Amino acid sequence: MIGGAVFGVVIPYVAIAVFIVGVIYKIIGWANSAVPLKIPTTCGQQYTLPFLRRNIYDRFDCPQTMWETVGRMFFEIFFFRSLFRNTRFYYAPQMKYKDARWLWLFGIAFHYSLLLVLIDHLRFFMNPVPWFSSKLTDGLSLTGVFVPTLYLPGLLIVVALALLWARRLFFGKERTISLPSDHFVLILLLAITISGNLMRYFYKVDLEGVKELILCLSTFNVARAVSIADTIGPVLYIHLTLVSILLAYFPFSKLMHSAGVFFSPTRNMPNDNRVHIHINPWNPEVKGITYEQYYEMYKDQLDEIAENGYKVKPEV
Amino acid sequence: MEEQPEVVKIEQKFPSWRDMLKPVTEKDFKHGFYHYPILKRDAEYLKDYIPFGTRDWDPLDKDWKLPEDWKERFLNAFKDKLEKYRPFKLYMDICVRCGACADKCHYYLGTGDPKNMPVARAELLRSIYRRYFTKSGRIFKEWAGARELTEDVVKELYYYLYQCSLCRRCSAFCPYGIDTAEIVWRGREILNSIGVTHRFTPISIAACARTGNHLGLLPGGMAGALQSAAEDIAEITGVEIEVPINKKGAEVLFVAPSGDYFATPHWFGFMGYIMFFHEIGLDYTWSTYAGEGGNFGTFQSYELAKLLNQKIYHEAERLGVKWIIGGECGHMWRDKHQFMATMNYPLPSTLEDPVNPITGTYFENAAESKMVHIAEFVADVIKHKKVKLDKSRNDHWKVTFHDSCNPARAMGLFEEPRYVIQSCCNYFYEMPEHTIREKTYCCGSGGGNLTEEVMDLRMRGGMPRALALKEVVKKHGVNFMCTICAQDKAAFPILMEYWKLPVEIGAMMELVGNALIMKDEEQERTLDLRGNPLKRGEE
Ligand code: HEM
Ligand code: SF4
Ligand code: SF4
Repeated sequence: MIGGAVFGVVIPYVAIAVFIVGVIYKIIGWANSAVPLKIPTTCGQQYTLPFLRRNIYDRFDCPQTMWETVGRMFFEIFFFRSLFRNTRFYYAPQMKYKDARWLWLFGIAFHYSLLLVLIDHLRFFMNPVPWFSSKLTDGLSLTGVFVPTLYLPGLLIVVALALLWARRLFFGKERTISLPSDHFVLILLLAITISGNLMRYFYKVDLEGVKELILCLSTFNVARAVSIADTIGPVLYIHLTLVSILLAYFPFSKLMHSAGVFFSPTRNMPNDNRVHIHINPWNPEVKGITYEQYYEMYKDQLDEIAENGYKVKPEV
Repeated sequence: MEEQPEVVKIEQKFPSWRDMLKPVTEKDFKHGFYHYPILKRDAEYLKDYIPFGTRDWDPLDKDWKLPEDWKERFLNAFKDKLEKYRPFKLYMDICVRCGACADKCHYYLGTGDPKNMPVARAELLRSIYRRYFTKSGRIFKEWAGARELTEDVVKELYYYLYQCSLCRRCSAFCPYGIDTAEIVWRGREILNSIGVTHRFTPISIAACARTGNHLGLLPGGMAGALQSAAEDIAEITGVEIEVPINKKGAEVLFVAPSGDYFATPHWFGFMGYIMFFHEIGLDYTWSTYAGEGGNFGTFQSYELAKLLNQKIYHEAERLGVKWIIGGECGHMWRDKHQFMATMNYPLPSTLEDPVNPITGTYFENAAESKMVHIAEFVADVIKHKKVKLDKSRNDHWKVTFHDSCNPARAMGLFEEPRYVIQSCCNYFYEMPEHTIREKTYCCGSGGGNLTEEVMDLRMRGGMPRALALKEVVKKHGVNFMCTICAQDKAAFPILMEYWKLPVEIGAMMELVGNALIMKDEEQERTLDLRGNPLKRGEE
């Protein structure tokens, strides 16, 4: 009785509350800091003289207009554009570089699987299930040979996470820069995804019950939620509790990169500095030497320049 | 340079995350890597911006004689920066330590020091941020990657924040655009607040605040430099040019980095400017009050940057010019493109639209800040065929182009200089693709590192560029690397010697000056601007 109520109701509620408040708090914190300067990192030809044409890469890597900037952000967020540049320098005699875009590949594999798994999860949150969710799920499942059907993103995410973790364990540089928290999120995500897959293929739980529980939670029908909570098997609670930990941890961790990427001034500002001057809200007054002071200091020399008619001539 | 080793060893170490949190202190500072401390003279002059600089201290001392309440001051400054700079705050929070930036830093590649990975450099400050400004850091301490702020940590910050050239190469590769240069800039500001500053940039900043340029040239000296350049031009071309200086009512103010007035090989580009402006008959002027385009303040703090760049608009207003052209310099253009107009807003109302009087082109991309890059200006003039160029006068050069960090990654100036260079010479070759344009490698001496005491660091940091250059030397026999940055021009000749590359360094405007056929030139030229005999058409 108590177990179901704690793991099925209290913990998820607390986690969600922490998640929402935490994320909003963090975002407000960022938004409250000023952006004193417009500092885009330009990775393509600037907008310039008409005969110097910019190609499509230039326009998105070095945006001039608002729409180009939106385009740049789009490619950053959906295709990890910057990570796609990842080439490494080696001390090879031939000045060859190595492609290091496997990080991009693992990253994309992980994030898209995550997205697809979340979309698939909508079937627990919504009644009726949105059409795109079930369509996608059907499209990405291997049916027929295997019973039950295999949901590919759910498996891919485990593989991608394992590869990402392997990087941190086996590569020197990556191991050196990895903090315990970096390992922690990967382990946590692995645990979540593995427990999810276990539930799907081996330790079946009562999906109808799960859905009802979640719908009750989301409509704040607490009494009913508590009573359903008791009827569901323990594997679900392992999964659900891990997810709750992730949610509660999210705002305090590097996972905030998912919101932060939208705020990054080197990416979300156009390179139109000389066309539209950016205003710094706290621009300080700085007292430098005025021309009058300068003139007092170097009167003789300046007067001499004036006497010569403000020009110098070669003496030949 | 006989004393240099034949083989440069790059030792790579991969310490554990715990060891990464342990500060590197004066005991481990290496010669050739740490900066000397600020001079008392400059500290006295800049005391409003860099307090406590006048005490007696040396980075190799155990006791740095920090002010009594240094910790409080440090944390207050930190908090202040977090509030004032969204990028700083954001970049403290969102790095996932994916390592994409790790091996993009030329200093890391050249030294193998794990703390020179951009992500590790940022972690030096991030660990303090976590400890004092986040809950998880306060609770989990080391396990959350947080660490106490101690004097040793300050020493480590000093050591590594001054081993960054603010080149932003790391930022181009980071999936969130985390800009280590931004973090380092804030870090240096925080260190300034407790009087921990290096020697090199404050010398130039103080000089510039006083005299108008980094080198401390007095008005007479600048006029003298212009005169000698005009004399050198007369000697080589036979054309005697009057150079306008401090002239009121000129249409355009021209601002170059002060290195151009004296140093070699800047000098030949300096001659190039004068020849080019004379040839097209531009109504312009040089200025002694705003005689410096460069801005070493941008390596130290916002206020110091503004202290230096405000002169340019003041002078433009005093002289009554319509707009401004800026010379060849890297960090200068980070300042002129991204900082100057914001820092000095609102701009003087006397300025007018930047329209090229020779071609009628409106420089749309400088519509508000009114400052145009020399490469944009020259490219426009060449495109409209307003000057005659003889490419074969540069036939003794096989040219390659080094994209300087800031025009590349803070401005996107790639095609303009290439257009100009290719209009002026027959042999032009690009270095390997992953070392040019936005992926360009720093010369190794930028961001306040152009100083003798960190020579080892500079030569190592320049390695990726040197190797890329070696590639085209072998393949195409390149013997001239063109660059549009004054610091490059100062740094590369030493680098060429160190890495044993038979390549001359020079300005874009030098190539223009060579190729330029001037109207009043009576004789065929036999010498280039350096006084080398011309070799037309020879392979
Ligand atoms: C707007 C959405 C998001 C974007 C653009 C984004 C982007 C990225 C990028 C570019 C990386 C670095 C590459 C890599 O290591 O894979 C990364 C890492 C990571 N992301 Fe996201 N992400 C987003 C949302 C999320 C969410 C919602 C999670 C949730 C749990 C997440 C978890 C992670 C983790 C754990 C890593 C680190 C991988 C490692 O340690 O190797 N991301 N993200
Ligand atoms: S590339 Fe960006 S996110 Fe990745 S480790 Fe470097 S700074 Fe952090
Ligand atoms: S800005 Fe340049 S020097 Fe500094 S850490 Fe990044 S790559 Fe290295």
